Amino acid sequence: MHYMPIAKRSTGLVLFPAFDWCISPTHPEREERLLYTKDQLIEEGLEDVHNIHFYNPELAEYHDIDRVHFCVPSSRNLLTESHLISAGGAIRAARSVMNKEVERAFAVVRPPGHHAMQTVFGDRGFCIVNIEAIMVEYIRKHYGVRKIAIVDTDCHHGDGTQDIFWNDPDTLFISVHQDGRTLYPGSGFVHEAGGPSAPGYTINLPLPPSTSEEGFDMAMERVILPLLEEFQPEIIINSAGQDNHYTDPITNMNFTAQGYARLNRMLNPHICVLEGGYSIEGALPYTNLGIILAMADMDTSNVREPDYDPANFVQPPEMNAHIEEVCRQARQVFDDRERMRREQAAKEVVRERKSIFYDTTGFGVEETKSYHLCRECPGYMELTGYGLGTHVHGYSIPFNSCPACQQKARDAFARAEKKSDTVTALQDRARDIYETK
Amino acid sequence: MALLIGIDVGGTHADGVLLEGKEILAKHKIQVDQENLSDSIFTLLQQLVPDNPDQVERIQLSTTLCTNAIINNQLDDVGMFIQAGPGLNPSFLQCGDYVCLLDGAIDHRGKIIRSPDNDMVLEASSQFRDVGIESIGVVTKFSHRNNIHEQTLADQLEQQFAHVSTGHRISGLPNFPRRVYSTWLNAALKRKFVEFKTAMEAGLEHLNLRCPCHILKADGGTIPFSGASDFPCESVHSGPSASVMGCLALMENLEDAVLLDIGGTTTDIALLADGIPLLEPYGVTIQGRPTLIRALNTRSVGLGGDSATSYADGKYTIGPLKKGAPMAFGGAVPTPTDAMVMLGSIEEGDTAQATKAMQALRPEQNPEQTATELLQSFADQIHTAVEQMIDEVFSRPVYTVAALLSRKRLQPAQLITVGGPAKAMQDMLAGCFGLPCTVPEHFEVANAIGSARTRPTLQATLYADTADRKLVIPEIGLQDKVRKYFSMEDAEERLRQVIMTQAAEYGLEEIADIDFVERQEMNTVRGFHTSGKIISLKAQIRPGLAQL
Repeated sequence: MHYMPIAKRSTGLVLFPAFDWCISPTHPEREERLLYTKDQLIEEGLEDVHNIHFYNPELAEYHDIDRVHFCVPSSRNLLTESHLISAGGAIRAARSVMNKEVERAFAVVRPPGHHAMQTVFGDRGFCIVNIEAIMVEYIRKHYGVRKIAIVDTDCHHGDGTQDIFWNDPDTLFISVHQDGRTLYPGSGFVHEAGGPSAPGYTINLPLPPSTSEEGFDMAMERVILPLLEEFQPEIIINSAGQDNHYTDPITNMNFTAQGYARLNRMLNPHICVLEGGYSIEGALPYTNLGIILAMADMDTSNVREPDYDPANFVQPPEMNAHIEEVCRQARQVFDDRERMRREQAAKEVVRERKSIFYDTTGFGVEETKSYHLCRECPGYMELTGYGLGTHVHGYSIPFNSCPACQQKARDAFARAEKKSDTVTALQDRARDIYETK
Repeated sequence: MALLIGIDVGGTHADGVLLEGKEILAKHKIQVDQENLSDSIFTLLQQLVPDNPDQVERIQLSTTLCTNAIINNQLDDVGMFIQAGPGLNPSFLQCGDYVCLLDGAIDHRGKIIRSPDNDMVLEASSQFRDVGIESIGVVTKFSHRNNIHEQTLADQLEQQFAHVSTGHRISGLPNFPRRVYSTWLNAALKRKFVEFKTAMEAGLEHLNLRCPCHILKADGGTIPFSGASDFPCESVHSGPSASVMGCLALMENLEDAVLLDIGGTTTDIALLADGIPLLEPYGVTIQGRPTLIRALNTRSVGLGGDSATSYADGKYTIGPLKKGAPMAFGGAVPTPTDAMVMLGSIEEGDTAQATKAMQALRPEQNPEQTATELLQSFADQIHTAVEQMIDEVFSRPVYTVAALLSRKRLQPAQLITVGGPAKAMQDMLAGCFGLPCTVPEHFEVANAIGSARTRPTLQATLYADTADRKLVIPEIGLQDKVRKYFSMEDAEERLRQVIMTQAAEYGLEEIADIDFVERQEMNTVRGFHTSGKIISLKAQIRPGLAQL
């Protein structure tokens, strides 16, 4: 006889609220952020539910960070132990799934990561390093997985993750978020569709403020699920931000715990990683629980906010029409990917410039990425950037580049001049080496 | 010096000792009649009571009363009132046929979302009365943050039912399903325990024993009879406590150590860190039901001297079942005990039959070789179970960076082994663990000595929310206002007073040092301003031996 419920899908949980770490005492990404979530999950007795397993995070290695980021001046300099633990929490969740300890896993960790771009000069949008991206490249390195889909359901555009996988046709990145004209970071429009080697593999679904369950259902049914079906990823990852909730203090959406649970059930991701969510009392305890139960294929019908009333979540017809149009356009981007790639194929080098603002302490970085294209592979990338008085000059060799491109990048790095005010680095994912001079 | 009597009631036997300090003045063993437990205990007491009964300072008792009632399904029907609020669907909770699921809720911060519908309460309670229910359990989610719904219902129901148990009084820890099962169990045991207590009190008077009688708990501590009748669930699973505390009494200056109690059917494992037995994070699991009943972290594995053994594919499979006696004692299947008899490390038993047992396992090889291999495998399997347990302790969730970075894996420095096969396995275990292995003297009455020497344990938890100006100490039902500048030092002081008051109520003259554990202090931020602090703290008297 069973006195506790049984999870139909075995699910791992890395619950690490880091009660002794914060950006600053009154910052929204604060010590207390996951207190009520932890209280709810523990009070529910999840530790005793059969087939739900709790894991402590491990510490990521600096090497795991350097595989993804160019940190200026260095990862050792920028990261605290808390960041290594947060990234290590995502890695632990991934390992539990890849080693078949469990079928699904959720890293409920902080600080979050999806605003951290490939180059890192400091804290951006509460993030320093991109914990999903670190996890993805860890999985690729250690488990030989190639095709991965990341679905970012945080209310803010996952601009960091987009930046990191911009030119990777083996990563399908889909971000569904509040329209960038109304919310930080102000990006994530449909036309942002991926780099020259991977057009159509970045999909943005900017939804209007006040989007509710219907709108998210529509995005799932019309775009996200069909695209996943076509892309056929080996692993699906959900950047499970929870700030689309109707009580979130820094966003304007109208989503619910029931909605999050249903979204997760439809998406059925292998690994979830918590991102934002700052309604720490009214939303997080319920949305996190809803997501966990959905992952574990358990009954979610009783996970409702205390003031939940379905009448509050009906969308007006014009909003539905708008979201339908966004979905149509996004779908078009994916369907056009082959045509777009052919258009780019003739070019040898494509340069893209970007100004990146680091909002936490307030400074700008100017950056240029040069994609050296190849007909056989995604090519390699050269980057130059400047911020806070320091230059960065980096070469990044993707895991899926051909031997010729790898060699070209290594040669270019070898030729690059060493300068005292510049971090010159080679990020060689093929050989799993990070080298600076 | 004052005398102590310790009694340990087991499944088949009960042991008793009369102690003067560390010296054993008398020891005795009898067969137990589980149906008439108090009679068995009196029989034993009669043998132990000194000429002048007034010399006995205290009687301490580890009893199977509640455990047996659970196993044999002799529990009272309980009328349960459960308020689950938002979260897991509560339909999985199994507390018998009389459950009223209430509406309304209290949230994670102890805020009242909505009160339960009183008409539902009235209807259910009249139904419960109609079927003759006497015991009631009331549990709400987050009652350790705010007991108002539990308390209001209890006040209302106490006039109509003989007994009402509320969740917050049993434990201040979180975990709603465990709170439900603990409360249900407590209510279901109440009548049986009171009967036992009445019989015991009459018997003690008859023997002219006027000293206090304490009951052993699962957490390696004791509780006075008077306290136990409010919380009979505390007396379950006290056997492993007696065994662990007995080992502590027989050995001195233990640091990190592994305690093994090797029996016929199982081996019980306990771990000591710096000489103190480890506790379960929440509580003991009883017949599959997880509870908040504080307990030592012990693990019982199906590896005993009399476990049925077979051999296939180069491996010895030992247990988990016992299929009768070992062959050396007239049984039909080979067991590790047969190997011990065959090798002469147990003197009793039929050596010829034991040899046959080894030949039956491995017809192709020398039976002595088989016996040695089997015991080696027995020791290896115990070692694996111990390693797993140490791993699990190490893997317990932590929630702060500091705690994660300072985690330390238990590094046992020695092995203490008791139980029938202990001496026979001593060298084998020492070799296998690579640690010194001791079998303490008088280990055959270790449990009774453990019962006698165990000191009381108490605990209380505090949660203060200075933004809401609120303080709760669930175990004593306290909900108080608190000033804005309430600090961790204030929390310690409040809990110290609670523990001292509790000790005085239990008639305990001296208590050991209070440990303050699980400190958590955190600013609450609202609208970019610090609005207050949430402080939580637990105070406990950890399991230990009474000073002589």
